[in-house]
Amino acid sequence: MTDLWEFFLAFVRLGLISFGGTNVAEIERVLVLHHGWIDARTLANGFALGQLMPGPNMLAVTHYGYAAAGLPGALTATLGFYGPTALVSAAAVLIWQRHSAHPWVIAFRNALLPFGGGVILAGALVLARTSVTSLPAALLAGAAFLLLWRTRVNSAVVVLGAAVLGALLGL
Amino acid sequence: MTQAEAALPPEDEPITSAQAAPTPLSLARLFVGVALSGIGGGLPAHTRRALLSRGWMTEEAFAETFTLAQLTPGPNAVNLAAMVGARLAGRMGALASVLGVLTPGLLAMLVVSVVTLGQPGGLPPLLQSALKGAACAALAVLLTAALPVVRVGWGLRGGPAVTVLVFLALGVLRLDLLPVLLVGLGAGLLIHRPGGKP
Repeated sequence: MTDLWEFFLAFVRLGLISFGGTNVAEIERVLVLHHGWIDARTLANGFALGQLMPGPNMLAVTHYGYAAAGLPGALTATLGFYGPTALVSAAAVLIWQRHSAHPWVIAFRNALLPFGGGVILAGALVLARTSVTSLPAALLAGAAFLLLWRTRVNSAVVVLGAAVLGALLGL
Repeated sequence: MTQAEAALPPEDEPITSAQAAPTPLSLARLFVGVALSGIGGGLPAHTRRALLSRGWMTEEAFAETFTLAQLTPGPNAVNLAAMVGARLAGRMGALASVLGVLTPGLLAMLVVSVVTLGQPGGLPPLLQSALKGAACAALAVLLTAALPVVRVGWGLRGGPAVTVLVFLALGVLRLDLLPVLLVGLGAGLLIHRPGGKP
């Protein structure tokens, strides 16, 4: 049985170093190769399941925690991965608001917004490379985009519909 | 801060109910809804839709918060919830939002873990195909969230150049975020430095 404190610290560290999204390579290095808490199969399955769960994609950490140490492990992993980073974020935004009239903060904001646009477009490209691997997949993504852009249909309905289509087409 | 009151109607969605300032409880409810609709990813996009349709945030305030969330370490959908919560209802708002966005998936994942870890082998092929389909739609959701953010940054001086260069550096060249961040923000700060041209 793993030492929960060591387990907790490992997930705190993984949360804090997953900059701008997820860091699957590092998660694998720590959990599978270094500690041997889970195997590669569990890593892949948990990641796929995380995509399907309601909520953040990296709920895979809950799965890894459960696989390694049951319910206490699952809760420890989730709290460690998400807690500290959420605290940092809330503190950052409150500091940001307190000084929002400062000329340098305004300058920083103006510098930040175009940067954010580039980051999110880059993320879309990276995601497209992994998920749009065939013509049907590209058409599906295009149809979903038009639907979301032009109508007010709930996005969950679009995602679930695409999942059903994906299963039918055997993507 | 008057963003909540000064909400402009976005082009694509009429404001259904311009309510008073949101409470931690109403934020928790909003984020439970965001989590439930965020199957396959795209939580920031769902968050944007939910906030704008309630008139709790302007397009610009959301773009700003979203970008800040990208810069903090960690899973950014949850960071975004923490930031939106803190911004609209202080510390309790942040806590309520994070709990709201995490709880549905946490419970679902626990149930699924108990079931799947009990059976040998991986996921059935049908489920894998379904996951791929969901991923395509998730990409579309991400794009609908990306365009408003890009539009806000595009209107600033030097914005288009920075956006395109950052996109190429991170998306095409796959450079590290940190050096790109330093160069991109440095250039922006230089262009917009106080005392420079308005």
